[in-house]
Amino acid sequence: MENNNPLSPHIQIYRWHISSLVSISHRITGIINIVAITIICFWIASLLLGENSYEFTKVFLNSILGKFIILGLTWSFSFQILSEIRHLIMDLGYGFELKVTKITGLIVIIGSFFLTILIYLIGKQFI
Amino acid sequence: MVQINLPKNSEVQKGIYYQDKTGSKNIRKVNVYRWDPSNGKNPREDTYEVDMDNCPSKVLDILNKIKNEIDPSLAYRRSCAHGVCGSCAMNMDGKNGLACTKPHSEIEGDINIYPLPHLKVKKDLIGDLSGLYKQYESIEPWLKTNTKVETTEIIQSQKDRKKLDGAYECIMCACCSTSCPSYWWNEDKFLGPAVLLQAYRWIVDSRDDERKERLKKVADELKLYRCHTIMNCTNACPKGLNPAKAIAELKKMLATS
Repeated sequence: MENNNPLSPHIQIYRWHISSLVSISHRITGIINIVAITIICFWIASLLLGENSYEFTKVFLNSILGKFIILGLTWSFSFQILSEIRHLIMDLGYGFELKVTKITGLIVIIGSFFLTILIYLIGKQFI
Repeated sequence: MVQINLPKNSEVQKGIYYQDKTGSKNIRKVNVYRWDPSNGKNPREDTYEVDMDNCPSKVLDILNKIKNEIDPSLAYRRSCAHGVCGSCAMNMDGKNGLACTKPHSEIEGDINIYPLPHLKVKKDLIGDLSGLYKQYESIEPWLKTNTKVETTEIIQSQKDRKKLDGAYECIMCACCSTSCPSYWWNEDKFLGPAVLLQAYRWIVDSRDDERKERLKKVADELKLYRCHTIMNCTNACPKGLNPAKAIAELKKMLATS
């Protein structure tokens, strides 16, 4: 017989904390990065088509929307890298104490913004 | 499967408001999840005004007060009231825990009380844990010895005994498993933190002879590796244990064996 009893509320009521936030963001940035890498591949492929298509992407990436996308992707990659390092350390069996997970989680969140700014500043030297 | 929204029959509706009748000045609003299996209606959230001047310190005391003085129809599990039996596990203020050890002074604002998340509700705050018990049975949580004599004590060194610390204290209240999003979406396949902690407890027991078989049994993409170190389990455990670490140790054993 099928159980028609109601399901108790779950994600609607469960309180977020730093580790769960980092975990879900890790997934979301992971998906964004995969899409981003695909787009970057297409972009590079389009360069083969000649100057016109190069100019087109250049104009697009220099627009406000383009800059926003670039910065967003830089953050998403930064976050993914830091969070992945955290995961690797955890896979070695370290950093499972509640306090430590909180601290490493905060480092990932705050660090991702710092890394974005750093990459932005370094990148500016080349342009 | 990942399903963010609750099914239609599980959506929580506004319930009854029980106004305070004692005339107390120290009132707190307590929102409690209610579901009555007899009338086929959706679950609802009742609000009780509770006189906090005459209420002991724990959330369970509030529930007892509601049941004794305001609404006797409220159903919830409780037994020892000392954080040992694990009966009164529920979701309070968005976090799983034992109602008998959770002080209500730690909760700010209105007190929201729900059953353990993502379970089939039997009545009010009582969730159906039979799936979890079946999984617990599947890891065969008893000592298996092939070589040792059963009539005498099996000696264990202090060092080996130490390995069980942090695992044997588990009271199987299910706070951890029902806090885990991976368990919510894969409750039929993923064993969940509570059962994996127990699997770990038998694997590291020096007296057990079936370590290899036990490890082989949990070594499964879905049974074990659905853990993504979200840490909700360790965050929820009312006994201060660390199921996430035990799961990581299991993964490590499998990677190095």
